[in-house]
Amino acid sequence: MGPVNWHTFFFYLYALVACGFGVAVVISTNIVRMAMYLIVSLGATAGLFFLAGADFVGAMQLMIYVGGTLVLLIFGVMLTAQGPLISLRTSGGDWIVAMLLAGCLGALLIPAGLTVKSWNTGRPDVKEEVAQSGAQAVLVSADQKPPVPTAGDMPDVNEDGIPDKQPITAAPLGLGLLGARVDKLENVPAALRPGMSGYLLPFEVISVHLLVVLVGAAYLARSKRRAGNRS
Amino acid sequence: MQLLTQTVGVSHFLVVGAVLFIAGVVCMAVKRNALGVLMGIELVLNGANINFVAFGSKFLRSDSAYALGLDGQLISLFVIVLAAAEAAVALAITLNFYNNHSTVDVDRADELKG
Amino acid sequence: MAPEASLPLLLGLAWLLPLASFTIIVLFGPKLGKAGIMASYVATGAIIGSFLLSMTAFGIWHIGKLGIRAETAAHAVEGHATDGHDNALAATPGNMHTADEGDHGDAAHGGSGHGDAAPGEHHGTPTSLPKSFTKDWYSLAQFGPLKLSISYYIDSLTILMFSMVTLIASLIHFYAFGYMHDELHPIEDHEVVLSDGHHLHRPGRFYRFFQYLSLFCFSMLGLVIAGNILMVFVFWELVGICSYFLIGFYIERKSASNAANKAFIVNRVGDFGMIIGLMALWGSLGTFAFGDIKNEHGKVERGIFSSVRPPERIIDPSIPQTVTLTGGAVYTGQITAETAESIVIKPVDGEAKTILLSDISSRTVPAGADGGVPATVHEPYALRVPDGMVKSAAMNLITGPDQIEPTPTQVETWRNEKYGYWLLVIAGLGIFCGCIGKSAQFPLHVWLPDAMEGPTPVSALVHSATMVAAGVYLAGRFFPVFTGEVLLIIAYVGAITLFMAATIAITAVDIKRVLAYSTVSQLGYMMLGIGLGGWAAGLFHLVTHAFFKSLLFMCSGSVIHATHTNDMRRMGGLRHKMPWTAYTMLVGVLAIYGAAIPFVVGFSGHYSKDSIIAQALSFWDLNPRHGAILAGLAIAGSGITAFYMFRMWFMTFAGKPRDHHVYEHVHESPPVMYIPLVVLSVFAFAAGFNYSWQPLSVPSLIEQARYPGAAATAPLLDRVIIPEEFVSHEWQFHSQAEIIVWFVALGGLALAVAFYGLQLLNADEAKKQFAPFYKVLWNKYYFDELYAAIFVKPVMFVAKLIANFDRWFIDGIIHRLAAGAKQIAVLDDAIDRYFVDGLVNLVAAWTWSIGNSLRRLQTGSLRQYVMLIVIGTVALTLLVRWSVAAGN
Repeated sequence: MGPVNWHTFFFYLYALVACGFGVAVVISTNIVRMAMYLIVSLGATAGLFFLAGADFVGAMQLMIYVGGTLVLLIFGVMLTAQGPLISLRTSGGDWIVAMLLAGCLGALLIPAGLTVKSWNTGRPDVKEEVAQSGAQAVLVSADQKPPVPTAGDMPDVNEDGIPDKQPITAAPLGLGLLGARVDKLENVPAALRPGMSGYLLPFEVISVHLLVVLVGAAYLARSKRRAGNRS
Repeated sequence: MQLLTQTVGVSHFLVVGAVLFIAGVVCMAVKRNALGVLMGIELVLNGANINFVAFGSKFLRSDSAYALGLDGQLISLFVIVLAAAEAAVALAITLNFYNNHSTVDVDRADELKG
Repeated sequence: MAPEASLPLLLGLAWLLPLASFTIIVLFGPKLGKAGIMASYVATGAIIGSFLLSMTAFGIWHIGKLGIRAETAAHAVEGHATDGHDNALAATPGNMHTADEGDHGDAAHGGSGHGDAAPGEHHGTPTSLPKSFTKDWYSLAQFGPLKLSISYYIDSLTILMFSMVTLIASLIHFYAFGYMHDELHPIEDHEVVLSDGHHLHRPGRFYRFFQYLSLFCFSMLGLVIAGNILMVFVFWELVGICSYFLIGFYIERKSASNAANKAFIVNRVGDFGMIIGLMALWGSLGTFAFGDIKNEHGKVERGIFSSVRPPERIIDPSIPQTVTLTGGAVYTGQITAETAESIVIKPVDGEAKTILLSDISSRTVPAGADGGVPATVHEPYALRVPDGMVKSAAMNLITGPDQIEPTPTQVETWRNEKYGYWLLVIAGLGIFCGCIGKSAQFPLHVWLPDAMEGPTPVSALVHSATMVAAGVYLAGRFFPVFTGEVLLIIAYVGAITLFMAATIAITAVDIKRVLAYSTVSQLGYMMLGIGLGGWAAGLFHLVTHAFFKSLLFMCSGSVIHATHTNDMRRMGGLRHKMPWTAYTMLVGVLAIYGAAIPFVVGFSGHYSKDSIIAQALSFWDLNPRHGAILAGLAIAGSGITAFYMFRMWFMTFAGKPRDHHVYEHVHESPPVMYIPLVVLSVFAFAAGFNYSWQPLSVPSLIEQARYPGAAATAPLLDRVIIPEEFVSHEWQFHSQAEIIVWFVALGGLALAVAFYGLQLLNADEAKKQFAPFYKVLWNKYYFDELYAAIFVKPVMFVAKLIANFDRWFIDGIIHRLAAGAKQIAVLDDAIDRYFVDGLVNLVAAWTWSIGNSLRRLQTGSLRQYVMLIVIGTVALTLLVRWSVAAGN
């Protein structure tokens, strides 16, 4: 057996945590405990993001998702968890049907995920570096020559020597949101060029969407004169 | 132990994403508490996010030219934003429902029963 | 205008005037005046117009005859007893004595200078008036040789009948105006009881009475003027239907409508025989016309009379004749061919020679074996079976394909063998059958007494003077065609009728029934007279009877109108209150009784009845056995007539009133009713007179219409000889008749006076003593019951059978079909309701239940929706994956 690929180790760690606590969310009956388990699960998911090289997304996951959305969820739980509402049990029949469904979905999705053989393994040259330095982002200056890849073809190294290994994704993401896809400037194969545009429009749409949601949520949750009456 | 020496590919992430997705679906289907359903939704979205990120990662595949790159991450950002927005609205609905019916049991919300 | 043209015109107009009146009344009846009163004016005006036209024709005829009289007085006429009889015949054809050979030229075509030669021809002086006029007015159709046409046959008998009918009809129209006055207002009919117990109330029908009267006059006059037997038949039936209408005038009364039906149906029974006679005549003679008519080609077509009694002397072609020429040559031999100009004579010992008719001075026939005229010579106007009848009867004797028409010799031989004689007898009998029905002879007399249900003017006009006389008139018209057998049967029928009806009249208590049976009896007299060979006697009695019988009926109507009852047992002593009626009726009774001072003067009935009795006596002289029966019945009948007529008069007008209520309300009739009575009584008295110095008497008029030729013999019967009429005028018979009848009638009168006049004998005791006879007479010899049992009941039985068959079987089929259709309808309904509706309902139910079950999908449960989403997603994914896999 060779040296432990720490990338893989951490992957399995986070994956088990995420899946385990996700399953725990399902199994648990206490709403508060469910909320806790969910937080942990989503935190593990953020770790998975980091392992996949999506550091900004991971950060955002922790900040917004865990720190914002789930906190909101906790608020809701806290507000409504009164007495019998804390643990509402479902009947066995529903469980069986749900398990069946889960089985079907699992039978569908998991093999689907494993079909493409080329996806079963990752990048061969990255594994040592990643194993040595873990999941840390390495800041590489622009004129620093990238390490010469030892094996195979390294298509993600441009002529200027700018390495493709740019673990910092925040700036390119931001520029991408504004419409400039700086990550795909030269290396884009001609066949892939269509569709490589910016995400300015979705950005704006999302913004407006958030605004609307804000307003709507504020309206919906406004305090009413007569509490308990149907509106 | 051989498991730990091999590199992780996209498939592994897809599997994790699928498991989270399935857990989320089951949670949506099984939980009687509306907030439990919301948690299920969050799990589903997260499973989808893992998939996106997995597809967009150059590190996970051998031919990284075919990774989505930033697109995967961008999309997952959007998903996070939307999830947040939707969680907010859903929470507002749930609180409204709680205010009106004094319960968050979704089985009580059957006025559309035919 | 010559009489040839004027007489048809006048009589035709007189015939059609009542038709015009009928048309006007039928179209405008109720609107004519108030309640239709003007209808009577129209009808009376029309019939008076007809009367005047008839009188004009009468005058023209006599002016013509007077002209002849002046001429023929210059010629020698064979003398006969001129006992008031006018014999205008110049020739003496057809008597039973042997004619000498010089006579054969008389009655043949060459008779010039004689006023009345053969009928249908006129030649000689321009003022000569032929015996009769006959011509077609309008040809309706022609079927081969048969011509159907409207034609006339006018002779003195026609004019006499016209005058009599129109005169009596005019008087009756006046009378009816008074009698039917009630019909101008709404009427309550006491003889009709409705189902709710009340009497019938109905509006008046004044105009309709005159409508029917006019139609009747038109029909009767048409019958009289008819020139062919088919036209007679048509008007025969028309008269019958008018009688039906008039008898059933009070149609709501069951008795009246039954009587009308009976009259018509019984008449029809007689008409059945008449049709057979018509067929026999047409089938063998090929013509319906009476007289000879010149057709459009100028050829004279023979009518029935001259076919049966040819005017020329006919000699059997097989016997040799002797022809003397003007040059003196004499030839004897058979005449083999004869044309209009020449004859071909074949002497026994030589060859055939053609001789021009103009060269012939005389033709003689050698004497027969007994020295007289051989039997194969047919005298002119002798009854001879026509060629057509002989050929029809001898059809099977025509042999060989090369012979279509038999030769004249063959026909003559067959005639001598009596082929075709029966056909002539049948023809005569058939025609007489019609007369039996129409003139109410035995056995078809049953309708006439019931016909008294009609109003009295109807009885007076139709059932005494005219319609019933039509039968006698036809018998008189057809006299030349009757063979001796037929005449004998006529005589017997008449005798039986007269006796039977007279006996029934003895017991009748209804005043009109007495008169009805009296009419039947007198009609029997007329038929008897004709049957015995007394043609003129019978027709004379017809005319006088018309006058006095209509007088009697009208008087009885006056009595009924005043007393409102027909029953003589409730009358009595009415002459004090109704003198006009009483004494005019007495005149009528005396006329029918035949009152007279013998050999001096008498009522009309005396002369006519005496002539019949005289003829009966002369018949008895020649035929002992038949004559005893017939003459005996006739003489007895006159006695019975006297009895019942005076019984009627005494019961009504003499003695004490039997019903005071009736007597209180009786009053004399209005003048419009009794003036015609007076007029008629004058005629009833004077109609029989005849004077030798003027031809205006009834007997002389009748005599002018006599068809030349002797009365027929009866070769099939046992030597029955029918005497010539002029024989009865001989003193021997005439005086016997007068004396015998005078005494017999006086005996009847005495009995009537004893029973009813002076009440010396009690009628009720006599009734009890002769109870069985009385019962038979009271029930009219049970004729009605007999006919009901023989004819009516079987017909009703068969009708009921058929009705039941129809009701149970045929209606049953229909009902079952209907029930079947109903079942099919029920089945249809069931199918529709259960199957079709069920189907629809089933579909609806399925839809509902599917919807209901699908409703359960809407659980409202969020979690289940989620699960369903997932299931859907899974399915979709699988689908896409498999389709992609399949595509690859």
